Amino acid sequence: MAEIAFRNVSKRYGKTLALDDVSFTVKDNAFFCLFGPPLSGKTTILRILLGLETPDSGEVLIDGQSVNRLGPGERNIAMVFQNLALFPHMSAKENVIFPLVERNMAQKDIEERLNDVSKKLHITHILHKPPSQLSGGERQRVAIARALVRDPVACLMDDPISALDARLRESTRVELKRIQRELGRTLIYVTHDQEEAMSVADTMAILVDGQIKQIGTPDEIYRKPANIAVARLLGSPAINLLVPNNDHQTVSFAEGSLLLPVKTLPNDAKTIGIRPEDLKVAHWDSKQKGKPASVFQTEPLGGTTVLTLEAGDVRLKALLRGQPDFKPHMLVALSCDPARAHYFDSSGKVLQ
Amino acid sequence: MKKSIPFEVFRYAMIALALVVALIPIAWMASMAFKPVGEWSATGADLTWWPKHPTLFNFNFIFGQSDTSLIVALEKTAAKPILASLLSSIFGTLIAISAGTAAAYGLSRFGAGKNLPLALIQLRIFPPMAVMIPVMIMWAFLRLNDTWFGLALVYGIVTLPFAFWLMKTFFDDMPREIEEAALVEGCSRWRVFTRITLPMMRAPLASAALFVFIMNWSDYLIALLLTSREWVTIPVYMASLSSSMTGQLYGAKAALGLIAAIPPLVLGIAIQKHLVRGLTFGALKQ
Repeated sequence: MAEIAFRNVSKRYGKTLALDDVSFTVKDNAFFCLFGPPLSGKTTILRILLGLETPDSGEVLIDGQSVNRLGPGERNIAMVFQNLALFPHMSAKENVIFPLVERNMAQKDIEERLNDVSKKLHITHILHKPPSQLSGGERQRVAIARALVRDPVACLMDDPISALDARLRESTRVELKRIQRELGRTLIYVTHDQEEAMSVADTMAILVDGQIKQIGTPDEIYRKPANIAVARLLGSPAINLLVPNNDHQTVSFAEGSLLLPVKTLPNDAKTIGIRPEDLKVAHWDSKQKGKPASVFQTEPLGGTTVLTLEAGDVRLKALLRGQPDFKPHMLVALSCDPARAHYFDSSGKVLQ
Repeated sequence: MKKSIPFEVFRYAMIALALVVALIPIAWMASMAFKPVGEWSATGADLTWWPKHPTLFNFNFIFGQSDTSLIVALEKTAAKPILASLLSSIFGTLIAISAGTAAAYGLSRFGAGKNLPLALIQLRIFPPMAVMIPVMIMWAFLRLNDTWFGLALVYGIVTLPFAFWLMKTFFDDMPREIEEAALVEGCSRWRVFTRITLPMMRAPLASAALFVFIMNWSDYLIALLLTSREWVTIPVYMASLSSSMTGQLYGAKAALGLIAAIPPLVLGIAIQKHLVRGLTFGALKQ
């Protein structure tokens, strides 16, 4: 049970700045997710928190106490590594009880904890097997059991389900949520999969190039991205970014325009972001003002359809429900509810 | 992948051919070891694969028994050279493997001694002769000439680069997260090494040890230069098995050769399981 905080932590590897003045606080019992593209510094944060790396500057706090000087074994933080890092020469049981044996716990207590954690993770029946004979999901659960068996103040997970296939990932995600709720433990979870991040996290931090760009609930971050970088990272298909005209009412393309029926487009808006699901697509009526866009490609995904639209040299994506009646080369009119558009200034910051 | 029958036949034919080429000399040695003196240099129709009159004379002879069929007495028996070979090879292997493993681990994990790999290779760049002459002089000063431990020390040094390079590859291939997981779970650095790293390295260690042992066991040159009377090894002793009257003592050499083949063979079979794993270790990442 602990609150974990980073205070202005920076870390440099040679010439690359891996972490740039990173600060955040993870509340007790939170499911905190670090999300960012590959090489954005997510794993570095975990390694510094564990004590496997030392920060160049800044402080790591657990319950308000600086742990900068403590070694990895003294922080009582557990970790599930990306490749799980099970000990291949030990059985699943030996793996799970390893942290307890290393801490010279009494045999009776070890058995008790082992039973407890294996029941919760449903691994009782596979405890005698070596890791090489376990399936991906089973290894996963053994690694989590090893991390949780010794009652750590927090558990870190570095993209632990990226190696699983899509269906297994979905069920593991649900499982992780359940485990976190049942055990009531602070969980810091790293992933580069946005769907995963948004589905499991209570709070998420968006990390780009070693900087924290935004912290909030997944819903908040999706609906109110703080800057272009964050807006770009979340959402699939990605957000449409457009440059508005000087009249502050329309967005121009080479041969046409998208009318934004709004009078209050902020003056210094240099970029407009429209999520694909917020872009309205209608059949073109020649009496309409402005010029049409055309359908370039349709991708029916069953419940939804992704339209790629072409307007001059600009390509836009729209996400529509069901399977609407649009075919390639059809002319369409585009519009958007201005309240649902995002406006960014020249530095990429969002305008309120 | 489906394989056609002609291809399979061809494949096995090639394997058989390779085996024949490799095994004929060994088979010939085994046969020779049991031939009486009269058959040693037989020619023409007398030259047979199977000894006409199989005998254990050759074995008895090298261990000191003489016989009227051969009017030669050996200056010394094979017992001491076998002991010399065993002692120097085993201890040389221990030196090379322990020092090589420690050095490889230090370099692989902590970047200690960045110039070490090259320095160690340099040990092998010079022709052994060029290195051995100064070693002979130094060993003479240290009174290590003609001792089994003096020889073991040189074996350890000469095979160290092999042990080092083999172990370094294996340490480099081992995912560092496994050791880090143990660190996080409360192990000290030393505990990590003994509890996690070494047990995981059992297979590589076994194959490296066998490799180094065979190199030491079959050395001729170093033993020839560093030992003279007391502690000559099997290969040196074998070369001396000839006489001015009868020429080469083929049967005695074959018998000794057969005995010399036993330790590597036994060792190889004993660690066969590890050997296969050691050679495929990199492919078994989880």
